[in-house]
Amino acid sequence: MRQTLTSDVRVTKDSGYTIPWHQRRKTRQTIQALIVYALLLPGAIIFLFPLVWMLSTAVKPENQIFLFPPKWIPEPILWSNFWDGWNKFLPFNLFLRNTLIITVNNIFGNLVSSCLAAYGFARLRARGKNIFFMLVLGTMLLPNEVTIIPQYVLFSLLKWNDSWLPLMVPPWFGWPFFIFLLRQFFMNIPHELDEAARLDGASSWRILWNIILPLSKPAIASVVIFAFIGNWNNFLAPLIYIRSLDRQVLAVGLNMFRGQYGQTNFGYMMAVALLVLMPVLIVFFVGQRVFIQGIATSGLKG
Amino acid sequence: MQTIIPSKRRSFSLKQREEIDFYLAIGLWLIGFILFTGGPILASLLFSFTDWTGVNISKAKWVGLANFHQLLFDDKLFWIATRNTFYYSFGSVIFGTLGAFIIALLLNQKLPGSTLLRVIYYLPSIASGVAISILWLWLFNPQSGLINYTLSLVGIKGPMWLGSQQWALPALVLKSLWGIGANMVILLAGLQGIPVPLYEAARIDGASKWSEFRNITVPMLSPVLFFVLVISTIASFQIFTDVRVMTQGGPGTATYVIVYFIYQTAFEYLKMGYSSALAWLLFLIIFILTLLQLWGSRRWVYYESGERT
Amino acid sequence: MQKQNLSRRKFLQMAGVSLAGTALLAACPAPQAAAPAAGGAAAPSTAKTTLTFGHTWEAAFQAHQKEFDDKFKAKHPEIEALNATYNTWGDHNQIVPTWAAANTLPDIIYVHGRYAFPWNHEGILISVNDFIDKDTAFNVKGIWEEALRLYSYNGKQYEIPYDHGPIIMGYNKDLFDAAKMDYPSETWTMDDMLEAAKKLTKGDTQWGYEGYYDTIVGLGNEQGISLVGPWGGEVFNEAEDKIVLDSAESSAALKWWADLIHVHKVSPMPAQSQAVPNGPWVAGMAAMFSLASWGTPTLIQNAKFKWDVAPWPKGPKGQKTGSFGSGFGITRDSKNADAAWTYLAEYLSKEGMEFMWGASGRGSPARKDAYPSWLGSSGAPEHAKYYQDALENYAVTGHPYQTLAGGEILDVFNRNTQLVQTGDMKVEEAIAAMIKDGTPVLEDAAKKLKSG
Repeated sequence: MRQTLTSDVRVTKDSGYTIPWHQRRKTRQTIQALIVYALLLPGAIIFLFPLVWMLSTAVKPENQIFLFPPKWIPEPILWSNFWDGWNKFLPFNLFLRNTLIITVNNIFGNLVSSCLAAYGFARLRARGKNIFFMLVLGTMLLPNEVTIIPQYVLFSLLKWNDSWLPLMVPPWFGWPFFIFLLRQFFMNIPHELDEAARLDGASSWRILWNIILPLSKPAIASVVIFAFIGNWNNFLAPLIYIRSLDRQVLAVGLNMFRGQYGQTNFGYMMAVALLVLMPVLIVFFVGQRVFIQGIATSGLKG
Repeated sequence: MQTIIPSKRRSFSLKQREEIDFYLAIGLWLIGFILFTGGPILASLLFSFTDWTGVNISKAKWVGLANFHQLLFDDKLFWIATRNTFYYSFGSVIFGTLGAFIIALLLNQKLPGSTLLRVIYYLPSIASGVAISILWLWLFNPQSGLINYTLSLVGIKGPMWLGSQQWALPALVLKSLWGIGANMVILLAGLQGIPVPLYEAARIDGASKWSEFRNITVPMLSPVLFFVLVISTIASFQIFTDVRVMTQGGPGTATYVIVYFIYQTAFEYLKMGYSSALAWLLFLIIFILTLLQLWGSRRWVYYESGERT
Repeated sequence: MQKQNLSRRKFLQMAGVSLAGTALLAACPAPQAAAPAAGGAAAPSTAKTTLTFGHTWEAAFQAHQKEFDDKFKAKHPEIEALNATYNTWGDHNQIVPTWAAANTLPDIIYVHGRYAFPWNHEGILISVNDFIDKDTAFNVKGIWEEALRLYSYNGKQYEIPYDHGPIIMGYNKDLFDAAKMDYPSETWTMDDMLEAAKKLTKGDTQWGYEGYYDTIVGLGNEQGISLVGPWGGEVFNEAEDKIVLDSAESSAALKWWADLIHVHKVSPMPAQSQAVPNGPWVAGMAAMFSLASWGTPTLIQNAKFKWDVAPWPKGPKGQKTGSFGSGFGITRDSKNADAAWTYLAEYLSKEGMEFMWGASGRGSPARKDAYPSWLGSSGAPEHAKYYQDALENYAVTGHPYQTLAGGEILDVFNRNTQLVQTGDMKVEEAIAAMIKDGTPVLEDAAKKLKSG
């Protein structure tokens, strides 16, 4: 039913696509849209809570943060918390630069290596494939609390301590979550397409580049979104591997506002947290548009 | 090989090349596994048979299966943590997947404002951290929290939530549902990948909405749904941050879960060997569940490529 | 499912063959001979040294640390750089063992009193005894004895405390004024406190006494002894291999505190206090609070009400409370132990403590002669002298700090005392459960300690 709506809305905007019998149901569709809103809007209010809370805390004077019951609109509104939080204590501009470098590198690394591996698992026939796939899954099953020390020792032996290498090199060697995700999408593409290409003499790599990837835009968009967020917010690895303040990243910097006995300045912390969140929202906003374009692409080719 | 007759050679070499290509494709991952992940994983397996504290490996003694024996037969916390983890996992996976599925279905259309709604529903899954958990503590406040206030509007007296042995774990499940945005994104991507002509063809055949949903949407989405299910299960079994920040396992042992147990044993009690044994038992549990899901998926997951899981 | 077996067997085979080498190398760093240069004369070397630190200061305090470091560097040209890594308190306690496993500890690290004993046992830190003996300028006698004992292991001093303070009674002056009641006095008994708390409680919106950070019945180091001590009870025996909460004194004390919640209803249930960010006391919704000296800066920052402190009330068996603190130590991975000591000796001298924690208002310094600088600072309440009074007369360092199972035993306690507070468990049941679950933990730790 949802698909009807999609098409219909597109129809009204884009007359080149007109299919007559859609029009007749227009009133029904309006009612359907209203039902969707009725279902989603109450939830949206609840889901909007953290942002409103963060914003409200971000502009509060120190002594109004712990008022109870909470005051949603503080008096006065301290917009200066954004500037002060970012500039007064820690080199957040530097953290931003570092985080950007690492994140961009890791998105590419994750994409390239995970697409390749997922392609292998989804579309190439080989003996022992399932065993390797179980290994991919297996690496996700062990909580990192027990692998973190040996891994740290390993990177220390490589003399990678206090550098970005432990953060920037492993993403180029495949990320199980993305491999599994892309594999699921790749497996859902009809085999006839690459079978035909193969008979025409196309290599595996040409098939991946010309057939599989163009048909997987929504999946790739979601990998980019997740890779961006995962690396942007990555906390544990930089926390453990990076020691020098000038090599540190945003997520760890943000955490440094916290004090042992409640000396945390929540106003600054929330203000900076909101600033750090903005790029994530932008990436999501742009990324989800690709989903929409995805319809057209797969619709034409499918 | 030389004896193979020419007509078959071509297909054989194609097959062989495909196999070589497979290893090339997964090569980067395989190298990374050998260099970076496999060693530490194997190391943790070895540690689970020792009494290593996590600091001086030279002082560690081989204790055989003693850690596992103690966990299984002599540590009631293990069973409490396992039971709590299963409870949490069951609740958060079922409701989380279902909720994400419904929201993704509703948001998979170009209604005015649908982009904004997607952003809003996605938001809580990225807004996390200590300050947000304070918001949660407040939402769950039995007296003045929003949740119990809403319940009181319909005449229900809400529970003590995080302060109650019975309700603390359900409260954490409830909180987890707030983060279904990530699953929603994956499912949206899956829905967008379904070719529109399939629906158009069905409509021309006069198929009902329900049969479109059952015969096109669900099967075409099943690989992605399966992914969401497996990943949510793994993630739910590894719940840690919410427990560490919000309840520290309490009240009593009401929210004591396995990974919190692992963390405490490793870094607070300096019993890395015991902690590793615990982690490998958790591994075994999730591994079995994943295998069950893989096996079960053959009955309901449909791949357009005709492959099987 | 054949594949399942196959994959698991293959998994192990593969992992075994191809990774064993890496893994073993990774897991078995050559144990470094802990050879502190303590004995050697501090030969003036021409090479410049760099010292590294593992600190736990939050962002706002880092500038103050840097100020001290800059002054130190100016005075010591042989020091090239002082490089600090800052982690939050919780993260620090996880990262130190990780650093230690790879022999990459910084020269000097922060050590919380509760972690000192197990970390010293593991050899993460080195003893500073020889340095103290040699460095006549360093006045170790000026440090509270109760503070020093937290950091002694095998009869040797390992870390030097920088902060040490007791729990006494904090009170909200505004709420006392509003009720036209006298402030807590030096002669107060626990019964006086209960009477006042009753008068200052108003349903669910104001409580007479909030306990210690949401905990009314809690047996953490400094709190445990402040609860049972005034009744003449103890939590542990002196050797810390036995729990003695089942004594008549200790059980009477715990019952008295639990009654504050469930009988007199002058204290909040955990869910009620957790719902208020930073707790009802900071929000001005509680008249009294167990306030340790390190909790005062937060209050000055956040409280919108007037407050002060009074001595810990006397119990049936006199006056007693618990104290605790944190310190700094030199790690076994330090290659510049001499330079590290030079730094520590200045950092934790009278002047160092005055600058870092005293005059800055940050917290109660561990030195007697540095205490006055804190008492007069912006971080101390009007009658902060009662903290010093407690340290001098009736505060003792709260156990456990001489068992390897300090963290674990306190978690055992916590699980049970929480249920006392929620009303799910009676005090007697909780005591029995704590002894039953806790005794094997302590005995196990004692065994480990003996075997080295």
